Amino acid sequence: MTNSVIKTENLTKVFKVGFRGKSVAALKGLNLEVTEGEIFGFLGPNGAGKTTTIKILMGLIYPTTGKAWILNKEAADVEVKNRIGFLPEQPYFYDYLTSREFLRFYGQLFGLEGDELRTRMNNLLTLVGLEDAADLQLRKFSKGMLQRIGIAQALINQPDLIVLDEPMSGLDPIGRKEIRDIILRLKEDGKTVFFSTHIIPDVEMICDRVGMLMKGELVNVGRLNEIMDAKVKYVEIVARNVSKEMLAHMEAIGSSLYETCDHVSINVRDEDRVDSILQLIKDGKGSVVSVIPQRETLEEHFIKKIGGTS
Amino acid sequence: MHALLLKAKHPFVIPLMAALAFSLYIIQHQIAGYKGMEKKIEEFVILPKGEYLKPAVIGYEQLAADIIWLQAIQVIGEDTVTPKGYDWIYHALDVVTTLDPKFAYAYQLGGVTLSVLGKVPEKSNALLLKGMRENPDVWQIPFYIGFNSFFYLNDYRSAAEYMAKASKLPGHPAYLPKLAARLYVQAGDPDVALEFLLRMYKETGDEKVRAILEQRIKEVIVERDARFLEEAVRRSKDVYKAYPEKLIELVERGIITGVPREPFGGYYYFNPEDGRVYSSVVKERMRVYGK
Amino acid sequence: MKVLTIARNTFREAIRDKILYNLLFFALLMIAASLLLATLTVGEQSKIIIDIGLASINVFGALIAIFLGIGLIIKEIEKKTIYNILAKPVPRYQFLIGKYIGLLITILVNIVIMGAGLYIILILNELRWGHSIFDVNFDIWKAIYLIFIELMVITAIALMFSTFSSSSTLSAIFTIAAYIIGHLTEELKLIGDKVQDSLLKGPITFFYYFLPNLDNFNIKGRVVHRLDVPSSYIALVTVYGLFYVAVILLLSGVIFQRRDFK
Repeated sequence: MTNSVIKTENLTKVFKVGFRGKSVAALKGLNLEVTEGEIFGFLGPNGAGKTTTIKILMGLIYPTTGKAWILNKEAADVEVKNRIGFLPEQPYFYDYLTSREFLRFYGQLFGLEGDELRTRMNNLLTLVGLEDAADLQLRKFSKGMLQRIGIAQALINQPDLIVLDEPMSGLDPIGRKEIRDIILRLKEDGKTVFFSTHIIPDVEMICDRVGMLMKGELVNVGRLNEIMDAKVKYVEIVARNVSKEMLAHMEAIGSSLYETCDHVSINVRDEDRVDSILQLIKDGKGSVVSVIPQRETLEEHFIKKIGGTS
Repeated sequence: MHALLLKAKHPFVIPLMAALAFSLYIIQHQIAGYKGMEKKIEEFVILPKGEYLKPAVIGYEQLAADIIWLQAIQVIGEDTVTPKGYDWIYHALDVVTTLDPKFAYAYQLGGVTLSVLGKVPEKSNALLLKGMRENPDVWQIPFYIGFNSFFYLNDYRSAAEYMAKASKLPGHPAYLPKLAARLYVQAGDPDVALEFLLRMYKETGDEKVRAILEQRIKEVIVERDARFLEEAVRRSKDVYKAYPEKLIELVERGIITGVPREPFGGYYYFNPEDGRVYSSVVKERMRVYGK
Repeated sequence: MKVLTIARNTFREAIRDKILYNLLFFALLMIAASLLLATLTVGEQSKIIIDIGLASINVFGALIAIFLGIGLIIKEIEKKTIYNILAKPVPRYQFLIGKYIGLLITILVNIVIMGAGLYIILILNELRWGHSIFDVNFDIWKAIYLIFIELMVITAIALMFSTFSSSSTLSAIFTIAAYIIGHLTEELKLIGDKVQDSLLKGPITFFYYFLPNLDNFNIKGRVVHRLDVPSSYIALVTVYGLFYVAVILLLSGVIFQRRDFK
């Protein structure tokens, strides 16, 4: 409990929707714990309840039942927000402000002022690479710039916990890499990062742990290698200059082949046979391009799970 | 601290709101003291003329008229209204009827209250004449002008003329032509006045106006009875060559069948010094119907 | 401090909004046009200028209060900017009060500009007729002051509606209705005095005391006719306005605190 940064207990949220006030459960008894210093990926398709969870954690909505704690304080506690940095989904900010005015405004909400605030503002503008846009109104910003200034405001209070709601959605590959780099840097500084996404590779690349949310229920949580089969599914060998008879021979050993232009990729299910296949290629004067053991991808796991619950 | 506040929110908010609401009650009471009836009437002075107001209310003349009307009728009939107050009420009703000229009831109520309650029959007639121009089919309007002319302006001829006009309009009561005819020939007769007053009493719904009309009716009854008794005294004198000492003697001598009851609860007596009959309650005889 | 930060930002938002300038422009145009209208009348030019001027200040002030007042919260929700503010260490009631004060400052600035415009026109009018500038009716500032107090109440009402409604049209209709009813509350007393039925008298008296009585703030007529307005009356009505605002803000705070921002 001491190093638990986010903790929820049986968190349930029921919304009344429509004219007749039909009840729809957005969250069903969520139990989640995020510990200090980790990057936690909160994964789930759109509408799974990720944003609802984050809004409860931020005190924007109140749970129907259950409780949520942040840094060992109740989520609705205003004081605890001094230690949180938050970037909402598709950040909507006051677009009539310039970057500087924008950061000053949020800084002041944390009670920052004077030189301290100015120093932090300048450092953050450098961190997110917006020094040149310091006096530009936000309405003139691109999507990527908005996301970066959004991260800057989330860090103005030097928070212990950073909560990011879909920080990479709608960004190009370079934009996403920049956000990933910032997240990794935050982890290096000993901060806890909790972010939601529906894009799997984001999680795969940087998360220590992930939680998978589906229809308001947590279907899986843990270290990436715990969640997924650590066992190698098959080994992919890519080779060149392999003769036809050799291929037939390999197929006979029990591997599937895919020929492309001048390459051939050989998927070997049985790890023990990898050596004999490599030997075969060598004997046939072929050359090995790569040998990659293939594990289950998060995406495959995810799809399998969705299939399982729906 | 904020967490504390959050938890304590309702316990302290509700008593605070109650305290504020109670203070508001006290304050509003104080403010009302400043305003009073006088202020309401002063508002009518501030009211611009109807001609100016009309373009300003951008097509909502009836609604504007209703709002001013509702304010005016709150004031009309209040005991605190000064004679100047009735000038203001006249102005307000003039504005109402300029905004909504077909608002016949405004003329009627204004006509009655301005003369009967306000004793400003000229203003009453001015409003009613305006009403007659705009609503030539409403018989009550000339009826009221006739009433004003008869009782307040002592102009029997014009009273008879307006009554004749009223009796030609649709919806008039059956008695009206006869009343008009009697006004032409017997304008000075208390019986005519009495009938007129009784009809008027029936036509009006305003309690304050009715109270005044009732008073007036009783006064006319006194006048009528006094004249009747004086006539009997004269006949008695013709026969017995002397005034009776008491009116009851007239009955004893068989000249009349009874002494009428005094409507205010007093009694009638004969004053041999001037040879006239008086009521014990109404000391002065009416001048209006004097011969 | 955080209240002031939010107030300052609200003010900044308002003055970067084009609607405000349009309203201000039309109000000043109306006040200037009163000078033209005044030439049509014989005598009492200043009366007409003051009538039109004070009416313009009141109407345009009310428009600013209603439309910007409703936008205060609803726009934050529509544009989703509220999420990021309430995720900061800002208690909700402070956010609400900050927004309110921000708009009040905006309204105050506008009213002072309009009042100054009216005052200048009145000075020009007096000079044109060869009078001294001291002939200008200084009491217009009393009327303008009470217009501001009235607008404080209207803004609070607009804010309250926007704390629980998510439709600006509906909130605008509610607030305009409250504005009109607020001006008719005075009639309730007169009706209440006349009504005999105690079953009706109770509710009428209740509404008379607890609906906003906006007529309290209307001394325009008295000022035009140079009738005396006692300072004690102005003080009393000011306290009334402030207390009313306090009640509405408390109510708004309670509603706002419980609200989910989906």
